[in-house]
Amino acid sequence: MDTKTKLKHALADELNLPELKEATFDDDAPLFGQGLGLDSLDAVELVIVIQKHFGVEIKDMDESRSAFASINALAAYIDQRLAA
Amino acid sequence: MGTEKSSRTWTSRSLGSEFQHRIFYALISVAGRRGAYFALYFVVAWYVLLRPSVREKASFYLQRRFPSHRGWRRLWDTYCMSLELGKVLVDRAVLGILGPEKIHSVLTSEAQLRALLAEGKGLVLVMAHAGSWQLSMANLANLRASVSLLIHREPGDVDRHFFEHGRQTFAFRIIDPTGYMGGMLEMYQVLKAGEVLCIMGDRVMGGPGSHVGVNFLGGEIRVPISPYKLASSSGAPIAVIFPHKTGPDRFQVKLATVIRVPEHLGRRVEAFRPFAQAFSHALEEFVAEHPYQFFNFFDMWVESSDAAKNIHSSSHSGA
Repeated sequence: MDTKTKLKHALADELNLPELKEATFDDDAPLFGQGLGLDSLDAVELVIVIQKHFGVEIKDMDESRSAFASINALAAYIDQRLAA
Repeated sequence: MGTEKSSRTWTSRSLGSEFQHRIFYALISVAGRRGAYFALYFVVAWYVLLRPSVREKASFYLQRRFPSHRGWRRLWDTYCMSLELGKVLVDRAVLGILGPEKIHSVLTSEAQLRALLAEGKGLVLVMAHAGSWQLSMANLANLRASVSLLIHREPGDVDRHFFEHGRQTFAFRIIDPTGYMGGMLEMYQVLKAGEVLCIMGDRVMGGPGSHVGVNFLGGEIRVPISPYKLASSSGAPIAVIFPHKTGPDRFQVKLATVIRVPEHLGRRVEAFRPFAQAFSHALEEFVAEHPYQFFNFFDMWVESSDAAKNIHSSSHSGA
């Protein structure tokens, strides 16, 4: 399973977001606000899920800003951190 | 919070002008706390008697706390409440201008707070706009841990926080709730580092999903869930503390209760209600004991307020 698929499954299960498993979901849609509908309180849950499933810890606020843009951006960020 | 439309119904902007504040700062420098208090009795009387808006803002809380008081008694309650707020604002200016040695503040349950911190998961200190939280901040140096504070600085507010007077150095970090992700990620990192995080638990900043309704003084108010959410995510214990004035130059910071939130409660706002209610209950006990040391000068109650249209000013957020 590639990072993006694993990420979508992890977020769908842990954050109760079944729409992430639908084929029609736009992986470039924003995670926060209008897109997936997450809010700032969910940001912490997102950080925890990523650490739990990928062992990647997001500490840098600037990094998270770009990584949290969309599913595609987040998956790319995780891949980049895992490769480093 | 940051990315969401705010549903807050308050503003922390001071009633007084910058010039009026400067007069008080000068008075404190020249005549000390007593000189400023003396002037305060007359200034507060002027505001309470001649500004109907001051009486209206105080009435939301006072009609809940003293439902049987009417007329002159309500006016007296308003004066006492406004005077206590004024004294706290003077005290915090004294702290910043003249130094911490001019104010005697005692942190009770210090050993208990240290024990909570020693658990290694950080410590969430939930406070309210009661007494003077800024004096409690000065006390927290005793815990010998880094302290971060979630605080919103209202644009255009002319009243200074004690650490803005420039005479003293207080080592704590400010996190802006209007910043990126409402400061949630920064706050989480604070707790992950095993440090102290201070949040005001009685005023709402963020969007609809950021608060929950709880009972307070016979009605429903909305309080933020961020302290409980962060505690659940990090495993940090919550200590509810209320500082109160015990004498002209004396304060006591009291540990009201400790709240343990189970880990990973998820995204459902309702899951956090019991913990928010525990905070509200502790606050009720505080205002029962110190009725004039509660400083939310706006309509906190859901059924009687129209959040979007009717924004009431508190005299000051920092009290």
